[in-house]
This record gives sequence, structure tokens and C-alpha cells, in this order.
Amino acid sequence: MSPLLACSGLTMRFGGLTALDALDIRVGKGETIGLVGPNGSGKTTFFNVLTGLYKPSAGAVQLAEQDLFARSAQEIGRAGVARTFQRSRLMLDQTVFDNIALGALGRLDLSLLSALVLRGRFRRQLSELVERATALTRRFNPQIAANLFKPAGSFTMIDRRRIEICRALVGSPRLLLLDEPSAGMTHEETRALMDDLLAFREEMPDLAIVLVEHEMDVIRRISDRCIVLNFGRKIFEGPFDALIADREVQTAYLGGAQ
Amino acid sequence: MSMADLAPSVPAQTARSGGLARLAVAATVALLFAGGGFLLHAEQQGQVIALLAAFVAVFALAEKVPVGRRIVGLCRAHPGTVNLTAAVSILAIAAALREEHYTLLMMATVALFATAAAGLTLQMAFAGVPNFAGAAFFAVGAYVAALLGNTGIPHLLVLLIAGLAAAVLGLVLLLPVLRTRGHYAALVTIAFGLLLRAFLEVNDVLGGPQGMKVKSFSLFGLDFSRMTEIGPYDVSFYLPYALASCALFGLAFFLVRRLETSFVGVALDAVRSDEVAASVFGLSIARWKATAFLLGNAMIGVAGALYGMMNGFVNPNSANFGDSLIMLSILVLGGLGNLWGAVVAAVVILVIPEKLQAIQEFRLVIFALLVIAILRFRPSGLMPRAARDFSALVKGGAK
Ligand SMILES: Nc1ncnc2c1ncn2[C@@H]1O[C@H](COP(=O)(O)OP(=O)(O)O)[C@@H](O)[C@H]1O
Ligand SMILES: [Mg+2]
Repeated sequence: MSPLLACSGLTMRFGGLTALDALDIRVGKGETIGLVGPNGSGKTTFFNVLTGLYKPSAGAVQLAEQDLFARSAQEIGRAGVARTFQRSRLMLDQTVFDNIALGALGRLDLSLLSALVLRGRFRRQLSELVERATALTRRFNPQIAANLFKPAGSFTMIDRRRIEICRALVGSPRLLLLDEPSAGMTHEETRALMDDLLAFREEMPDLAIVLVEHEMDVIRRISDRCIVLNFGRKIFEGPFDALIADREVQTAYLGGAQ
Repeated sequence: MSMADLAPSVPAQTARSGGLARLAVAATVALLFAGGGFLLHAEQQGQVIALLAAFVAVFALAEKVPVGRRIVGLCRAHPGTVNLTAAVSILAIAAALREEHYTLLMMATVALFATAAAGLTLQMAFAGVPNFAGAAFFAVGAYVAALLGNTGIPHLLVLLIAGLAAAVLGLVLLLPVLRTRGHYAALVTIAFGLLLRAFLEVNDVLGGPQGMKVKSFSLFGLDFSRMTEIGPYDVSFYLPYALASCALFGLAFFLVRRLETSFVGVALDAVRSDEVAASVFGLSIARWKATAFLLGNAMIGVAGALYGMMNGFVNPNSANFGDSLIMLSILVLGGLGNLWGAVVAAVVILVIPEKLQAIQEFRLVIFALLVIAILRFRPSGLMPRAARDFSALVKGGAK
């Protein structure tokens, strides 16, 4: 069976810097990949290329047989790739609901006619979406669900992360990319977030996740398979136990790979 | 914000307190409009200054004292009551001042500039597309009215064509505006405004520097400039213009609010606030910016056409940069994205300088001080836009 996501020879150059160096990465349906690597190794760049924010220099990208190489961000988003950002990109002045709705807009009726005159369809979709957003946020924190129409900026850091994850989930993506979701959180907060994610996982068995994370505990708990990047190259791929034992990975993390 | 603030905020409301709340909202709105009506009517400097002081006090206190906050909150929670009271108040003011040419002219001007501001709201406050050429699109509408006013085309249709023409002319700007960002996009629109004015000045078909006469508006065979009485009442011929202008603003208000409270509004806000996030989640930045730009220019064009018909002439000077800035100031002073704010700001910016005529040389100083004071104490405008709350649409079944 062919994988959900298949990247081969994926290369991204910024001038003279090769940020992604002929990456071959496959992600199967329902798989959770832990993506690790030192700072600057190209993890975020990989996400940016996958989501169409950067145009890759070479290679091939397929999502469920659909060619997504160098496609626009919109096309890729509509094909079912959703993500969070390393530096939060919530719209803080806008309500939680507006932020989450953004994740579903690609599938909603955005015609001017139904916005202006034929409101029935819009209102039906709105009710469904409010219900869905309530259900989603409630699993992460009931306080968010009870305050859907408060500005996102009035929530704590961890709740904002949760809202961002809900935004990525609300459109029922096939592939979810999480870029350091636990950055800036305490151990307990990180654990709580990962519990939520794991609980989620049960309900969406087909969803594939790529998680960038520095906490090895987290990686061990939730990934089926790990991939390690260093200087834009894949230097390891395999189960977590093998990762811990791998010498090249250790030197990369200790900074000895110069 | 603490957790206490985040607690669910919908207390069980009895029908009685709902009715009381509506009454309070209606009284507040009616009072504000009465103040506005007095200001329009006032001629003695003493009265004007007293009204100004009252106005400053109201807005200074609105969010400082608990009662003020409470009332602001109630007004936000009952938009239907606000709008209905506003409509009734406008009719009452128009009826009371029915014979005063100049006052009604100002009322119409405020409504038409507020309509233009509604167009700019779509563009700048929602989609984040700058437009420093509002007066140019306004003038385009007036020129279309001048060209088509005598052709026998029904004038309602002329208004529509004027809007269309402004939108089509805006297409010229679309590509450069979409390709550039921030200050650069703003510069593009400024250049367009200057260019259009220069073009109008040298174009003899359009009357060159003298401009053109515009035929007065007539609705279903009723020529507005000939209306001097309604039933037993003598009226100024500006009365129908004032009413039509307010109706036009009402329509613009309705359209903008509908868009705002729909998924289109969510999309526009996302495109403005974060292009990266918006495009990752499948929105086409170009599509939404273009939609807002074209719709906005159409609104400005329609308002400009009616304005031209009311004034009876249009010339290249109508497209001047200063007027574009006035439209923008209305937007910013009122609170980006809040159309009632735009109405209040239009009164401040268009009416107050006129009313301070008697103290000639000081009037601009007073006016400038007022604007600076407003922005100093209310940096997000007189009436900042509220976050979008869909809960009323979800719970309240019909409507
Ligand atoms: N837009 C860009 N322009 C130039 N260089 C970039 C850009 N984005 C990332 N890089 C470079 O690519 C490399 C990988 O960065 P990044 O993907 O952010 O690493 P990571 O997320 O693994 O910490 C770094 O050397 C970074 O400086
Ligand atoms: Mg990174």
C-alpha cells in the first residue's frame, strides 16, 4: 500500500544554504512521526515547504497520490494538510471561534450570496461549526469551550496552543503537522497537552501526525517512528529505542557533528 | 485576564430585564441622535460649544464609569434595538428640521460620507487593503451621474452603474495593490488619485477644470430639486436628499454588517490579520482582497453619484487628496470597522468645523485639538469595533 505522504529528494535552498538536502520521508495513514534534530536542522523549513509557504528547489511531494510539489499553500491546505506554527499564529484580537473557524473555511460556503441574502445555508453551517468547535475545545479545556466568543488573546499560553491545535483539527485534515507544540510549557503542561493529543488520536485513527518536539519523553510516548534531521539531511529513521542508541544522533545533539 | 473573567458570561435573563435593557438602549441611542440633531441645528457658538463639551464628556466617561460600560455593553448586545431607534431618530430629526436647507444638506453629506466610509471599512478595516483614493472613486460616481443623468436611464439604475464604474475603474489598481503591501500599496492608491484628477482636468469631454453639471436625482418621476412640499408641509428640497442619503447608508450598513457576520467576514479578518495562516488554511488572499476592494469602491461610487446629483455639479477638485484623507479620518476616528463610529466621526469631521464658523481663525485649531484629544484618549477610535459574537445567530432560531 502506498503511504499517505511521500517526499523524495525534497530539497530547499536559500541562496547558498541548503536547508533541506534531498529528503526522503514517508508517512503512512494513521502514523505518528516524531521529527527531531538540533536547532536549525530544517524541521520548520520542512513544514513550510510541505504547506506551500516555501517553494522547494527540487524533489517530489505526493499526498495520497496527489502531486503537491510546489503547489500553492491554498491548494495544499485544501488537499488536507493542516499545521500549527512554532511561533503561535493566532489572531489574538479575534475570538476563539473565529480562529478555529479559519481551519474550516476552506470547506464552507463562502459565496457572497449566502453571506448577504440566502442566510439559511450559512446559519446551518455556522451551527454545525459552533457545535464542532465546542466539542473540540472541550476535550482540551472546558474553559475554552465555554468562552468561544472571547478574544483568543485573553487566554493563557497553553490554552492558545490548544486553540491552535483545534484550528488545525477542525477541518478534519489527513496530515497534521505540529511544530514544537510544547515550546515554553512546563513539564506538567506538556504532559497534559500530550494526553489530550493521545486521546484524540484514538478517535481519528486515520489521521497522520508529524510532531516536532525536543522533549524525548514526549517523543517516546507518542511516536510510532522517529526521524532525525541534521543540517537538512535525514540522519536517522526508526523506532525510538534505536534512536537513543544511535551514535550519529548523539553526536549531532551534542554538537559534535561539525 | 483571570479565570474569573473567563467564566461563562450569560446570566439567566428574564424577559422583564430584557425589555428594560432594550428601553435603556433605545433611550441612549435616541439621546445621542437628539444631541446630533441639536448640533446640526445649532447656530449660536455657545450652544455648539456646550454640545461639544457634552459630547466629549459622554465619550470620555463611556468606558470609565460602570454605568457607561454597562450601557455600551447593552448597546452591543441589542443591535436590532440600536438600529431601529436610529432609523426612527433620523426620521424625527428630518421631520423637525424639514425646512432648513443647510442643515439637511449637512445631514445628507454626513450620510453619504458615512456610506463611503462603509466601503472603506470593507477594504481597510476588514480586508486590510489601503485606499487613499476614496474621493477619487467618489468623484467617479459623480461623473457617471453627470454623464448619464440626462439620458433617460432611471436614476436608481444610474446609481448602480456609477457603483459599477467605480468598481471597474478600481480594477486598474487591483494588480498593483495586490502585489504590493502596506505603505507601498497605499502609495499606489495615492498615485491613482492624483492621476485621475489630472486626467479629469485635461479631459474636455468631461468638462476640463470646470467639471460638469449633474442633473438632480429623481425617483420614480419625482424630481428631488422640485420638491418643496410634502402634503400640507413646506419642505426644503434637501429633505428628500437627506432621506435618500440616510437610506443609502442604511443599505450599505446592512450589507457590511451581513458580510461581517458571515464566514466571509471571518475570511476577510483572517486575510488581514495573518496572510500566512489564512493561506495555509486554504484562503486565497488575492480573491478576498479583490472582493473587498471592488465591493468597497462600488459603495463609494454610488454614494458619490448621489452626492453629485445633490450638489448639481462635479469637477476635478472633487477628487482631491484632502477629501480622501477626510474619508480615512472618519474611519480611523470612528473606530476601524464600526459603522456607527463612522457616523459619529463623520459628524465630528464634517459638521463641527462648519458650526465653528463664527470663530473663524480658531475653528481649525479647535477642530484639530478635538481630533488629537480623541485619538490621545481613545486610540482605537470613538467606538472601537467589537469582537464578532456569533452566539446570537446560533441560539436565536429565526431572524
Ligand atoms: N526564509 C529563510 N531564508 C533563509 N534561510 C532560512 C529561512 N528559513 C530557514 N532558513 C535557514 O534554514 C535552516 C533551517 O532552519 P529551520 O527549518 O528553522 O530549523 P529548525 O526548525 O530545525 O530549528 C537554518 O539555517 C535557517 O537559518
Ligand atoms: Mg523550528
